[in-house]
Amino acid sequence: MVPAGSSGQVEPHGPLLDALIEKRESLLLFLAARTRCMATAEDLIQDLYLKVAAIDAEAEVRAPVALLYRMAANLMVDHVRSAQRASRRNGQWRMETATSLGGEDVAGDLPADEVVVARERIRQLADAVAALPPKMGQAFRLHKLEGQSQAETARAMGVSVKMIEQHIQAAMANLSQRLRS
Amino acid sequence: MADANAWLVRLQRDDVSGDDALDFEIWLAADAGNAVAYRRALALWHEFEASADAVLATLADDGRKLRAEVRRGPTRRWLAGAGGFAIAAGLAVAVVGPMVSEPSVQTYATGKGQHQRVTLADGSVVDLNAETRLSVSFSGKARQVTLGDGEAIFDVVHDAARPFTVAASSHTVRVVGTQFDVRNRGDDLSVTVARGKVEVRPTASSGRTFLLTPGQRLDVNRSGTGSLSAVDPQEAFGWRSGRLVYRAEPLANVVADLNRQYVQQIEVSDPQLGKMPITGVIVLDGQAAVITRLSLMLPIRSVPSAEGLLLLRK
Repeated sequence: MVPAGSSGQVEPHGPLLDALIEKRESLLLFLAARTRCMATAEDLIQDLYLKVAAIDAEAEVRAPVALLYRMAANLMVDHVRSAQRASRRNGQWRMETATSLGGEDVAGDLPADEVVVARERIRQLADAVAALPPKMGQAFRLHKLEGQSQAETARAMGVSVKMIEQHIQAAMANLSQRLRS
Repeated sequence: MADANAWLVRLQRDDVSGDDALDFEIWLAADAGNAVAYRRALALWHEFEASADAVLATLADDGRKLRAEVRRGPTRRWLAGAGGFAIAAGLAVAVVGPMVSEPSVQTYATGKGQHQRVTLADGSVVDLNAETRLSVSFSGKARQVTLGDGEAIFDVVHDAARPFTVAASSHTVRVVGTQFDVRNRGDDLSVTVARGKVEVRPTASSGRTFLLTPGQRLDVNRSGTGSLSAVDPQEAFGWRSGRLVYRAEPLANVVADLNRQYVQQIEVSDPQLGKMPITGVIVLDGQAAVITRLSLMLPIRSVPSAEGLLLLRK
C-alpha cells in the first residue's frame, strides 16, 4: 500500500495499520458487497487507510483488528447512504450516455458489435429476472434494481426483513444458475 | 451452512457491524473455495448493480409490449428465458468382490508441525493434524480406527456392509459414509460432522449415545458429560488448510494448539492473560508472523525465554 503523502515523509505506522495490511484482502471483499464494482471497493480501502493513518500511531489500541472492523463497517454504511443519493441523481445521465458491459459501465461510443453484445447481455439479465418466481422477483427488483434497503423492501411487500433476505438469496442462486454460461 | 449468496445478502443489512466483518473473515478463511464462490457471486451482483437502470427499463418495456399484445388477443410470443429441464443421472458402477484378507493393523503418527494425508484401503481419506497417533485395522466386516492423542479429519467412503468406527478415549464414533473431525486432546474429546450421520457411543455400558448430523459438534469433558452445539464444520476443518479458527477461545488453549505446530515453544506465565478470549483466524505460516497476528487480536508482546518465547501483557 502506498501512503498518500509525498516522498521524504515519515510513513505512518502502528498496530492499526499493521492490521489493515494483514486483513486487506478480506476487508476488500467485505466492502465490495456494497459497492458498484471492485474499483470502488479499492477506493474505500484507500479511505480506510487515510482514517487509520490519521489516528496517532502511539495511541493505545487494545484490539486493533476489532476496531478496524468497526471502522470498515461504518465506512460501508456511510458509503451506501451517499452512493444512493448520487445514484438517484446520476441514474438518468448514466442511462443516456453509457452502456453496461460485463458489469462495468462503458462509454456510449462503443464499436457497433460491442454495443450489440452489451444489449444482448441486458436482455439476458432482464429475462432472468422476469423468470424468477413472483415474490423472489419482486424482492430482487425493489432491493437490488431499485436500490431500496432491506427494511424498505420488507415494508413494501408486507413481510419480515428475514423473509426478504431469504428471497434475495434464493433469487441470486436462481439467477446465477440461469445466467451461467 | 453459510454460502456465498447468503453472505452477500447478510452484508446488505442496514445495521451491518464489525462483528459481521469478523464472521465474514472467518468464513472466507475456513475454506479456499469460499473466496472463489464469493467472488463469483459478487461479479453477478456488481453486474446487476451497474446495469440496474437498463434492466429495469427493459423489464418495463416488456411489460408494455405484453399488455399491448394481450389487448390484441392471443399470441404465439414465447416466454424468453424459461430454462429447460435438467436431468441429473447418477451412475454407480462399482463391483467389489468379497475381502478374504486377514485384518492387518497399520499405525500412523505425526510429530510437531507435521500434517499427513493417508488414503486407506477402502479409499477413505484421513488427514492427521500435528502430534497425532492413529492405528487402522480393516477386515471384511469392519473398518476400525483407533485415535490416540491427536486430531484427524475423516472422509469416509460409503460401505453399508462395513461400518467405520473410530475409538477415541472414552467413546467410539460409528459411521457408514461421512466426513467428520475427531479431536482427542488431553481430557477433552470433540467430534464435528460435515456430512452424513455419526453416532458417538461411550465405550463403557453406561452413558448417553449421541447421533450427530451435519453442522453439529459434540464436546465430551473429562467427567464424560457430552454437550451438543451448532457449528460451521468448515471452521473445525480449517487446520487442514493451515488455518486455525477460534471463537472466544482462551489464549492458553490457542497457545497449546500453536505449540503442536512449531518446534519453538510459546509460554504464557500469567494465568489471567491465558484466560483472555481470542476470536478470529490464525494463518499458520511462519511462527513470527503468527505471533504478530496474535498481538493484533490481544494486547500482548513476546520476549525470548529459556523455552522459546514468553507472551506478556503489553
